[in-house]
Amino acid sequence: MARNFHFQIDPHSGVPVYRQLMDQIKYYVASGALASGDQLPSIRELAQSLAVNPTTIVKAYNELVHENVIELRQGKGAFVAPQSTELSFAEREKALRRLARQLAVEATQMGADSNRVIEIVDEELTAVAGERGEPNLRAKLRVVGRKG
Amino acid sequence: MPTSSAVISARNLSKTFRGGVVAVSGLDLEVPAGSVYGLIGRNGAGKTTTLRLLMGLLRPDSGEARVLGADLWQAPREIRQRVGYVSQSQRLPGWMTLDELCRSNACFYGRWDEALAHRLARRWELSRKRPIAHLSGGEQRQAAILLALAAQPEVLFLDEPAAGLDPIARRALLAGLVDCLTQESGCTIMFSTHHIGDLERIGDRIGMMDRGRIVKSLRLDEWLDRVRRVQVVFNTDTVPHGFTIPAARRIRIEGPVATAVVELANEDQLTPLRSIPGARVNVFPMNLEEIFIEWFEQTEEPASSLQPQPEIAFVS
Repeated sequence: MARNFHFQIDPHSGVPVYRQLMDQIKYYVASGALASGDQLPSIRELAQSLAVNPTTIVKAYNELVHENVIELRQGKGAFVAPQSTELSFAEREKALRRLARQLAVEATQMGADSNRVIEIVDEELTAVAGERGEPNLRAKLRVVGRKG
Repeated sequence: MPTSSAVISARNLSKTFRGGVVAVSGLDLEVPAGSVYGLIGRNGAGKTTTLRLLMGLLRPDSGEARVLGADLWQAPREIRQRVGYVSQSQRLPGWMTLDELCRSNACFYGRWDEALAHRLARRWELSRKRPIAHLSGGEQRQAAILLALAAQPEVLFLDEPAAGLDPIARRALLAGLVDCLTQESGCTIMFSTHHIGDLERIGDRIGMMDRGRIVKSLRLDEWLDRVRRVQVVFNTDTVPHGFTIPAARRIRIEGPVATAVVELANEDQLTPLRSIPGARVNVFPMNLEEIFIEWFEQTEEPASSLQPQPEIAFVS
């Protein structure tokens, strides 16, 4: 159960609320804090605890279903989907290429040194691997109680 | 024609007050069922008059306003009791308590939900036993909104509901509105506000009002996904003469930097800019407040710093 997950919405960021929510759920899944089969809060619960429009939650969940991150089970709610090694090799290459391109463009614009960029990517990969392997992470990400 | 799912609609609505003050002028509007529509605009843009026209509290000079398919000016009570409204300057009878007001309102509204009234009073920490006059201004406002919500309206109009509320009370108000949205029968909410952050939280559609008209009406998430501040920085002292950013409403030029607000259909639109030699392109997301300011400030900019841009499509 992921009932006590803390999601944070910043209405001033310029990023639509449904996207902020999607990104956070994806991050929790990528970091292993949310595992396959974990249940996500219901639409009503999440809408009320975050004080956001329920249709926004519906939209975020629907997009995540579309991206195979979560699945909806009739009458039971939303669950983290079995983690996709099914993402085909070609699709993964394409997605990675897009992200790498974005990083390359922005790093170049900042005038960053290319070796440093590679070092940073390496560090981040190590950090994420560490997070996934660390059993206490789940507990850390859980926040007792919700902000009302 | 309004689509069948539009529960609030207006066509060519106009209202001029005595003394020739044009409050609303040729306003068109359509709000689909179940949405939360936020009206934003500067003071005097006509938001309150629009809500009052839709509520049937004012008679339009021309055009028509429909809510739940009816003209509320002349609709029977059966329709009107399905519509809630809290005005900016709502005054509740000061000598009555919230409990007494609930009891009397329950007689007028077929769908009155006493349990919801109690729940909201608890959540908003409102006394149900003290005379309204003894409550603070913010609490009186919350009491008025509570009475509107407990009637379980199908359509709810709120004029500046968050005005005068502290941040905690505002958050609680939003949660109360979400309650209303998640009820089984559903609810359509239209509200005016200057709290743009609140609108970004619970709104799904917005209408920007300017001089009595809705100048832009759209889905909030689509808009935030699309509108970007694009900056092109040249490695020369000035921006080359005649340079434009395609699809921009206007360009601001300061030395070697050209900045514009652009509605991007997709990132590829920027490829031609990114391939200009010796220039770098920065793209920033914008929140609704920035978009709002950008939109309304433009008439106050000195003309010299502006290059008018055609509002049309991108030519690659």
